[in-house]
Amino acid sequence: MSYSETTPRRTEVLVAEGLQKSYGPRMALRGLSFVLKAGRLLGFLGPNGAGKTTSIRILTTIMEPDAGRFSVDGISHEYPDQIRRRIGVLPESFGLPKQMTAIEYLTYFGQLYGRTASDARSVGMELLEEVGLKQRARSLVSTYSHGMRQRIGIARALVNDPVVVFLDEPTIGLDPRGQQELLGLVQQIAEERSAGVILCSHLLTEVESVCDDVVIMSSGEVVASGTVADVIGRTEQNTMRIRVPAEALEDAQRELGTISAVRQVTAASGMPGWLRVELDEAAAEDHFINNRVLETLLRAEIPVLSFEPEGGRLQDVFLQLTAGGIK
Amino acid sequence: MSKASPVWRIVFWRELRDQWVGGKALVMILIYTLLLGIYAYLFASNSELQLLPLKQMVLEIVKAAVFVGLFICLIVGADSVSGERERATLEGLLLTPTSRRQIVVGKFLSALSPWPAALAVAIPYWVVLSKGDVALGHALVWGPIMGTLLAPAFAGIGMLVSVWCNTNKSSMLLSIGVYLLLILPSQYSGLSTVTQSTQATDLSNLFQLLNPLGAANRLLNDSIVLSAPADRLWLWTTTPLLFPVLVLAVLFVYVGPGLQLEGGVRRLRARPI
Repeated sequence: MSYSETTPRRTEVLVAEGLQKSYGPRMALRGLSFVLKAGRLLGFLGPNGAGKTTSIRILTTIMEPDAGRFSVDGISHEYPDQIRRRIGVLPESFGLPKQMTAIEYLTYFGQLYGRTASDARSVGMELLEEVGLKQRARSLVSTYSHGMRQRIGIARALVNDPVVVFLDEPTIGLDPRGQQELLGLVQQIAEERSAGVILCSHLLTEVESVCDDVVIMSSGEVVASGTVADVIGRTEQNTMRIRVPAEALEDAQRELGTISAVRQVTAASGMPGWLRVELDEAAAEDHFINNRVLETLLRAEIPVLSFEPEGGRLQDVFLQLTAGGIK
Repeated sequence: MSKASPVWRIVFWRELRDQWVGGKALVMILIYTLLLGIYAYLFASNSELQLLPLKQMVLEIVKAAVFVGLFICLIVGADSVSGERERATLEGLLLTPTSRRQIVVGKFLSALSPWPAALAVAIPYWVVLSKGDVALGHALVWGPIMGTLLAPAFAGIGMLVSVWCNTNKSSMLLSIGVYLLLILPSQYSGLSTVTQSTQATDLSNLFQLLNPLGAANRLLNDSIVLSAPADRLWLWTTTPLLFPVLVLAVLFVYVGPGLQLEGGVRRLRARPI
């Protein structure tokens, strides 16, 4: 009988508190703390060198932390064997054996998790169906395409019916359709299995659309964490960007400058044709300020090609919070 | 209801299959068979010219079979962990809730598998070359005994190096280095015993005794060429007996439980039970 059948799953499936790790004099992790709840998808973000891989390796018991603690499903990190029974991991780069078929591969891992050969095989077949590889169950995994390799990797991560699933860059190298399909599968894992899923990715748009929560790291520190909406909202600025035709830029700048709530209008750096409109603090409470800005431009017969609040996307938050954090 | 298999057995069967279905062990045994065939052919030609006594010829083919068989075990062992690191398959294995020691045991047993194959390939050559001489009996007793005692040691050395190295290249080079360090002095002292075994100095005897390959070399020489009685041979089994015990103790007691993703061994610390 599996663990999930005998023990009710806790709401908080992963709790990390003050995890630290150094490689010689370099501090790779400076106190990682966050909570992951069952059935939630958490985006784990950060520029290269931010400490994501170190964090994942610690949380998956491959490495030991220098300080701090974590628990998975209430099991302390001092019991790595028991934690390994409750987690599933898709590492960023993982190899597949040359001489094994997909079903043999999953059966092998199922057996390593203590299942009998026949049980491991039937679980393997179910998983292959779940990840859409049932038709290729008897093909050698070495003949799989990149997308199929990622899917078999996810199937392997689910072989023990985990409480927490770690997916390190699962969409890397996939075409847009492949990315979309894989993210759909990831969402399905969180919803149908009630597992907490940690998704490491550089695809911020996708993370924003599929994840419930987010942790952003920079230089080994957590610079933001919470629900995706909260994190975006917390860093939202009182600034908007407006795109107008190039010949109307000067007119638009002049007209917008006449609005009392507008503090400054400048050309948006690195974005030709865009104006950056900074509003004063009082405008934050004014729910009609956007309407008045647009109305001013429309009255002056200046075409508005595009309009967006600055800081309103995860990407903006990420760039703002991790500026200078790339080592 | 059937029970789950022990981890070492699951790892053993998987490794065995990887090595023998288009893997390193199969390739090396095929090369070994070819080389042993050439070697035997050269000796067969020699027997017509009678440049080398028959017993000496049997000794040489037995030594070639045993020492190359040990080399194959060493190389397969040297690939077992660092190879998985390089192919990025080790992390998946370490993420399972299995005992590191059992993983090492499974891999070790599989690294031993070339030895019985090498022996099976070699014995017909010994039989043919000995032409029914009494040396064949000694070869058939002591060749397998020496190989079977030392194969675990060499597979174990390969694995120890493999656990410590991050890349397969460094693991292979280091293992080959260790092998040369052991075999070259053994061949030198072996040569001296062939020509002047009774005058061999105490010091050279001591060096031979301390070197497991030297001791094996001497034992094979004394049994096959000199037809020495068993009571004179036991001394030379000491190192081939103790060396594997030492290597396997380090491998299974210290290194095995500390197996980790990066090269080296995780410092073990007490965990609450």
